[in-house]
Amino acid sequence: MTRISSVSKHSPMNRRILMVGAALGILASACTSEAQPTDERAGIRIAVVTHGQSADPFWSVVANGVRDAAADLGVRADYQAPTRFDPIEMSQRIEAIIAAKPSGLVVSIPDAAALSAVIKRAVAAGIPVISINSGADVAASLGVLVHVGQSEYEAGVAAGERMAAAGAQHALCVNQEIGNAGLDQRCRGFGDALARAGKTSKVLGVELANPDDARQRIAGAFRADPGLDAMLTLGPTGAEPALGALQQLDSARSIRFATFDLSPRVLEAVRDGRMLFAVDQQQYLQGYLPIVLLTKYVETLALPGGGKVIATGPGFVTRETAARVIDLSARGIR
Amino acid sequence: MAFAEAVGPRRFLTELPALGGALIIWSLFAILAGPAFMGAQGAAAYLNAAAPLGIIAVVVSLLMIGGEFDLSVGSTIGLCGMALMLLVGQAGWPFWAALPVIFALAGAVGFINGWLVVKTGLPSFLVTLAMLFVGRGLTIAGTRRLAGRTQLGGLGVRDGSLAHTLFGSDLPGGLHVTTAWWIGLVIIAGWCLQRSRFGNWVFAVGGHADAARNAGVPVARVKITLFMATAMAAALVALLQAVRYDGADALRGEAMEFRAIVAVVIGGTLLTGGYGTVLGAALGALIFGMVQQGIVLTGTDADWFQVLLGVLLLVAVLANHSLRKRLLGTA
Amino acid sequence: MKPPILEARELSVGYGAVRALERVSIDLHAGSVTCVMGENGAGKSTLIRVLSGVIQPTAGQLLLDGGAVRFADPRAARKAGVVTVYQDLALVPLLSVWRNFVLGAEPLRGRWLQRLDVAAARAAAEAQLAHFEIRVDVNRPVARLSGGERQAVAIARAVHTGARVLILDEPTAALAVAQADRVLTTIAAVRDRGVAVLLVTHNPQHAVRAADRLVVLKHGRLAAEMGAASIGINELTELMSQ
Repeated sequence: MTRISSVSKHSPMNRRILMVGAALGILASACTSEAQPTDERAGIRIAVVTHGQSADPFWSVVANGVRDAAADLGVRADYQAPTRFDPIEMSQRIEAIIAAKPSGLVVSIPDAAALSAVIKRAVAAGIPVISINSGADVAASLGVLVHVGQSEYEAGVAAGERMAAAGAQHALCVNQEIGNAGLDQRCRGFGDALARAGKTSKVLGVELANPDDARQRIAGAFRADPGLDAMLTLGPTGAEPALGALQQLDSARSIRFATFDLSPRVLEAVRDGRMLFAVDQQQYLQGYLPIVLLTKYVETLALPGGGKVIATGPGFVTRETAARVIDLSARGIR
Repeated sequence: MAFAEAVGPRRFLTELPALGGALIIWSLFAILAGPAFMGAQGAAAYLNAAAPLGIIAVVVSLLMIGGEFDLSVGSTIGLCGMALMLLVGQAGWPFWAALPVIFALAGAVGFINGWLVVKTGLPSFLVTLAMLFVGRGLTIAGTRRLAGRTQLGGLGVRDGSLAHTLFGSDLPGGLHVTTAWWIGLVIIAGWCLQRSRFGNWVFAVGGHADAARNAGVPVARVKITLFMATAMAAALVALLQAVRYDGADALRGEAMEFRAIVAVVIGGTLLTGGYGTVLGAALGALIFGMVQQGIVLTGTDADWFQVLLGVLLLVAVLANHSLRKRLLGTA
Repeated sequence: MKPPILEARELSVGYGAVRALERVSIDLHAGSVTCVMGENGAGKSTLIRVLSGVIQPTAGQLLLDGGAVRFADPRAARKAGVVTVYQDLALVPLLSVWRNFVLGAEPLRGRWLQRLDVAAARAAAEAQLAHFEIRVDVNRPVARLSGGERQAVAIARAVHTGARVLILDEPTAALAVAQADRVLTTIAAVRDRGVAVLLVTHNPQHAVRAADRLVVLKHGRLAAEMGAASIGINELTELMSQ
């Protein structure tokens, strides 16, 4: 497995290196999977606990990454998530997992205050822990080996810059998972980037579990504020109701619309030009890579990333690349 | 216990079907999940998961025996947790000064629930459903306006301080101090129900409000008191969680209302009111914790948690239905 | 003869143009059963509601032990010893007999922590029921008693809570013969203890058997009043159907 020296998470160049490294990691694992899994491999058991609601298409791609990696490597990986956003229930599940003493633990950290105690306990119990998706800023302080994901704030900034470049003046950021610090950071990064470009933005909270209501609220926000000319949603569960909401509006009004994260309907919308772009954190890798990393760590104690962030994004899916990504997405791996 | 007193030695079987249920669930996961579930660490994991729900369920069982529902209890947890974080974390109040405010806030929510139910005669199901939306909406909108976020960390209760010892510490064996609060509440609420005048009134109000009124029971006061106690239990859970998890988010306690009702019904309390036990509700919460954590330990997809829970609820409802028929002599 | 415990003088109740009760007078004496009869709508329920403080008369007055009195609500009436037992509204079905028995007047013990005196409550229920020869297990839920037992328990309970005037609303309706019989026996036992009983019933047989005095209401007015000894069942049935 390729070793990668310590890098700063803020440098795009280093990020690219990390991603290359990650790709090599996959290759390496693909090669090893040619061989029969050893007995030691079969005994490796990795628990994955995320905050992603089971019904969220984004997280089923992560779960597919976990499953594929486990199959490729011949290890056992169990994917767990509460049915709704609930850091306390996550914390409770991790507590149970510590009792089972797995070979490794993969967690997302959407609420550092709520989860830090239990993650420290896992580390203290001698379980190697890798964090994914949310929690880049706190991972190292909790004793987590490495974080695999994207910096939410930076990704929000990147989205804001693209939006400003596309001519947005007054943008709406739609948050479908109130309480998730990562999503709050995306909105903040987005707003800060727009503000630096001299534009304005505001936030609208909607309910993930209630798409019809979300659609009405988004449409209502645009009717109430005629100056709004752009919108960013923070995930497919926000983007899909938003697409519906835009159809309800006066067709003469052109809204620049982009989202975080992919889903089949998001990709179709990008391909058809109804959306400008989709910020992709390539979450399949957030499921796949930690299983590879932990398996190798258990076997060799070798670990890339130097305790920092292995960046899986942000990548941008635009009208040009959408069609190819749709193929991959249909297989649940993008 | 009204019915059980007639049953005598067979008391536990007839009165606490939840005890049998808990043993079955424990055995099931002992087989499926093995030593990790049976060991002390596993036990701590499911007891800790059951405790916050247990605190709510114990008080909700009194409310349901009294013939009412409270769907707003989950949103009250969110409201009180956020109020605590805003007062202490944002406004800089001392922790101990904020406590009475939190409980007064909960008391007010409970009073409004109870008063509306008593005055309008509308089903509490609807009144408290409305309160759920009001409470949750206020929590999200209020904190976003006041703090610009929906997740507030940094309560700043230091390890070893009195507040931390009372609300956020661990007991021997990895048990959260929350479990001690739970057990304490089971004893207090159980005593109140069985051995106080108020408890007799609760049974009567839930069993037949008109008969209770004819006998001189202050029905409105009993119901309002029960709603206030339920909201106070929510405030206690909000407090325990805010200290332990060093913060709160606006969604805390979501779905707690339904989980509490499920635990209470699994515990053998009739949905129609007038009959039930506090211990049963506590066992219902324990079953809930064992199922949630047991499924994690078997490595099964967590979505099966809901399936198993649904089946358990159905079994409990059917069992309660036949219990009611037997009690009323119509079986 | 001693003065009546409760006396109604020329009571009238009107709902708008409808006269539900028109100048009805009635005396309730200690140790005497007064039976009120009449068709549906004759004013029986209205009379009960006035006597028990549920509604206020539009004219006329109530006298308790010879002094004018006004019952603002049922609680006030109960406090004065005027207790009404409604057929299905007296007991809580899922609650045990003893818990029902002490409901609203629970015996407490302990100074610092007032708690239900379960032993005293059970003993009180058992003693009172034994006095009226009602043989039921006080630990059973009321729902498991027969209809007659339930009425008997409700009546004994009312006396236990201090009833001097007991108003019974159709206690024998919907009961089988043997069950009704046991209720009438209990009523007689209550009367023998010196309680003034007002019994509302449809059934002339029950009325003749239980009553010392009979009162027939018709269209809100007092149509007839007589001693029970002076009338047979057939005459009474005829009087009611006129």
